[in-house]
Amino acid sequence: MKRRLLPVAVLATAAFGLTACSGGSNADSGDVSAEGETLSVWIMEGTNPDSEAFFDDVAEAFTEETGAELDVEFVQWADAHDRFVTSIAGGTTPDVAETGTTWTAEFADAGALAPIGDFVEDEGLGGDLVEGLVASGTYDDELYGMPWYAGVRSLVYRSDIFEELGLEAPASWDDIVAAGEAVKAAHPEMMAFAVPGDAEFPVYPWVWGAGGEVAEQDGDEWVSGLDSAESQDGIAFYTGLATEHGFSSAGATTWKETDVLDNFSQGNVAMALMGSWTPAAIVEKNAELEGKFAATPIPGKDGGIAPSVLGGSHLSMFSTAKNPDLAWEFIKLMTTGEFAEQWGEQSGYFPGQASLLAETMESDDPLVAPFATQLVEGGGTVPVTPKYGAVQAKKTTNTAIQAILSGQKTVEQATADAAAEMNEIMNGD
Amino acid sequence: MSRNARASAVKAVLVVLLLAFTLFPAFWMLSSAFDARAGSGGQTLLPREFSLENFGYVLTEGGFDVFLRNSAMVALVTVLASAVLALLASVAVARFRFRFRTSMLLMILVVQMVPLEALVIPLFVQVRDLGLLNTLLGLMVVYVALSLPFGIWMLRGFVAAVPIELEEAAYLDGATWGRMFRSVLLPLVMPGLVATSVFSFITAWNEFIFAMTLLGGASENYTVAIGLKQFFGEHTNEWGYIMAASTIITIPVMIFFVVVQRRLSAGLVAGAVKG
Amino acid sequence: MTSTIQAPQVARGAESPRAAGGPVQRKNPLVRARPWLLLAPALAVLAVLLLWPLVRVFLFSLQDYGLREIVSGDANWIGLANYGEIFTDPTLWTVVLPNTVGFAVLAVAGTVALGTAVAVLMASLGPVWRTVVGSAIMIAWAMPAVTGTYVWVWIFDADRGIVNETLQAIGLQDEPVNWFTNRYTFYAIVLLNVIHHGFPFVAITILAGLLGVPKEMLEAAEVDGAGSWRRFWSIIVPNLRQVFAVVIILSTIWDFKVFAQVYLMPGGAGSNREALNLGVWSYVESFGQNRYGFGSAIAVLLTVVLLGITVVYVRTMLKEEEL
Repeated sequence: MKRRLLPVAVLATAAFGLTACSGGSNADSGDVSAEGETLSVWIMEGTNPDSEAFFDDVAEAFTEETGAELDVEFVQWADAHDRFVTSIAGGTTPDVAETGTTWTAEFADAGALAPIGDFVEDEGLGGDLVEGLVASGTYDDELYGMPWYAGVRSLVYRSDIFEELGLEAPASWDDIVAAGEAVKAAHPEMMAFAVPGDAEFPVYPWVWGAGGEVAEQDGDEWVSGLDSAESQDGIAFYTGLATEHGFSSAGATTWKETDVLDNFSQGNVAMALMGSWTPAAIVEKNAELEGKFAATPIPGKDGGIAPSVLGGSHLSMFSTAKNPDLAWEFIKLMTTGEFAEQWGEQSGYFPGQASLLAETMESDDPLVAPFATQLVEGGGTVPVTPKYGAVQAKKTTNTAIQAILSGQKTVEQATADAAAEMNEIMNGD
Repeated sequence: MSRNARASAVKAVLVVLLLAFTLFPAFWMLSSAFDARAGSGGQTLLPREFSLENFGYVLTEGGFDVFLRNSAMVALVTVLASAVLALLASVAVARFRFRFRTSMLLMILVVQMVPLEALVIPLFVQVRDLGLLNTLLGLMVVYVALSLPFGIWMLRGFVAAVPIELEEAAYLDGATWGRMFRSVLLPLVMPGLVATSVFSFITAWNEFIFAMTLLGGASENYTVAIGLKQFFGEHTNEWGYIMAASTIITIPVMIFFVVVQRRLSAGLVAGAVKG
Repeated sequence: MTSTIQAPQVARGAESPRAAGGPVQRKNPLVRARPWLLLAPALAVLAVLLLWPLVRVFLFSLQDYGLREIVSGDANWIGLANYGEIFTDPTLWTVVLPNTVGFAVLAVAGTVALGTAVAVLMASLGPVWRTVVGSAIMIAWAMPAVTGTYVWVWIFDADRGIVNETLQAIGLQDEPVNWFTNRYTFYAIVLLNVIHHGFPFVAITILAGLLGVPKEMLEAAEVDGAGSWRRFWSIIVPNLRQVFAVVIILSTIWDFKVFAQVYLMPGGAGSNREALNLGVWSYVESFGQNRYGFGSAIAVLLTVVLLGITVVYVRTMLKEEEL
């Protein structure tokens, strides 16, 4: 369990020891002169509602610093993987790109990315990066993905309804059930707790919160823990919210997380696990809900905080980058200091630089602080292996949850099948 | 008389049923497109708050003014080029006997059996080698290739159905082959040509995978299909914009059809000639 | 008798070297090269943009071709191992093939039947109503498949979809039912979606063919006292045999390859394993896992199956000289 928890103390110490003083650092900012060159960059669309204005500012600062032009291209998340693969095949990759945390190891494994550990060390940034993002950006003991931003899911609930019924934010699993029953009785038209059947990240907090594991590395072998008694306990509780208590709906059996967001903003849902980036979207979709919902860290089985997957993005340098020093200048500009902070504020994500994150932690915004607490005290990562992307693509966990919700399989059957499939994929060649 | 009346009553009922089945999803799309609150999903039968906001956004910030122009260009060139190439080729396979004719026809069918997803990587590399990445021309060439097999097979049937006597009559009047082609064959295969151009128009208009991979970062060259995709986000879908954009995508195809369908009716006249 | 008026003409025309070769019977090289000259531009485009990539797909299918091989450019030949893996996977036989084939059979039958019926109806309408109906079915065709799929999903939504609400209102159903979790209801919805999106093509094509059928033939048959059903089978069908053949072959090809309409349905992207079809299976099993060689092998397999079906179709529907 410790392995996944990222307490503040760990944040400040390093994945990369503080070896910045290792002399002769010639990558000081400002000495890269690349007059007339152009750096091509791919950024995912939709993270920041106003990315274009943001990158206009970045481009200006970048040109001032290095003399080079910046060519930013926005890529849709849904199609980004295909875009990366075709451009790798055609040798037309950009110099730098935003890579989702589960892709970095995969692209590094294929040899498409350039290692950036030396740059980070020379810059003395080693100790100041959010560890969860460093872990997912590391492949074969080499850093390939520079932590940029992170997000995390917590328990989001309708504070107006909780107030109306005299309920407190749930602090244990029993609290969730009690609150759910109260909401169900008072507002039968609402879903007390949404259990989406086609989403994997809202599943793992229950597995971890019950003391189970998704998968663990044992020597060279990965072993899925989804079929352990603890994991089954967690999954049984989670799916039980729908099947036993009737807090969810028939439709939710096939929901994705986007459907949870849509329904929450329509006012149909009282509790759900949602990301730190969703509050802004909820208010944008339905202004009436402003101030009517709040967040709290996901409770563990017997209280405490259950870890939740720390998602986000890296900035990675492709091995086709013509001028690695220039590419690094851009990465540094984006992931540290002013621009990293601005990006976090605008997008609802947390910065990947630990010292900036600590500042955000000070916030007393009821829709920021609980997520920050979750991130720092209960941030977990999915298994760090290039094969995990394949598990996601096969929707192993989603399949198990959906089969349980629709009554096709029992918890025991479904988790056993999922664990077997995960083992096969993660240990395949 | 009463039999006629009954027949037209049956016909009217059928037309109404058909229109209902055909248009219901479109009605749904329109009603969301005009609904200012469609953004949160959960569609109702009628707009909860009627507004043109979604269309305004899509056409300005959504970039559809540019995307529409690009798509129109791509579709027009694709329609014309594939019609010409397919017609020439279909005359060859319908009117001439030569070696490898049958295997050629089968080969033309085989190339469109491959799932497009599997062709993405090799086709991307191919277009790169031709130096046409990020250009509209590259996209046009690919779409012509995608609609050719259909066009050739379709038109082959129409060309074969033109009575040979009409051609012979033209030759007797001293026409050259080219002259005969223009004044006899072409008018008679017009309905087939219309059907194939509607097909190639829609292929070029709605195709997404190749538009996305081949155009890459050239956002000034994006087509409407890519434009539509931008409203499907990683964490949220902009239903109001999606439906407004879909409406905008659907309308030009309808206009194209209304414009060319007169040619379909013209086929009636041609049919009367050949009996 | 009337039904044979046109067919011989076609055959005769194709065999007549005089009409085919040109105004005067000459064995000059230009005339012999004419079919090839006419074919050349189309063949050039097809060879460069479809045939060669297709050959490469076949070559990929004999390799363990993943992201690493794409980056390094090395070949990694493994012979027929990919094919072996496909054929020994029970998912292929129990889920993927039955879903793909069963769906394609129903979808082709439904699309062609509805499309033909609509074409006949349209041919009997006056110009105004023909334009109205034509434009309406064009909307169904032109609506992006993505949008159409989401609309059908909304209609069948378990919690607030109008189908469930109607069924509950008239008392046929007590609780909301999630239609997407069951294999058969899942594909029934896909079927509705695909027929809705696919029949306009058939209708427009058949209509184009119908309008080419000489009116006199139909009138003569009517004078002979043939009913409309009889006229349809004895005049229209034989006259349009080639058009029908093309429409059926193409519909089969498309309905075998159906991807987006399944992938975008709730649970259709792989989380409902019973709903996998060949297209989605290949995407999830291979492209999601960067096994492009394996994916190519599935693509080749699909192509071979379709080729087989097409050859059978062509043999049964068209006489050799008609091809």
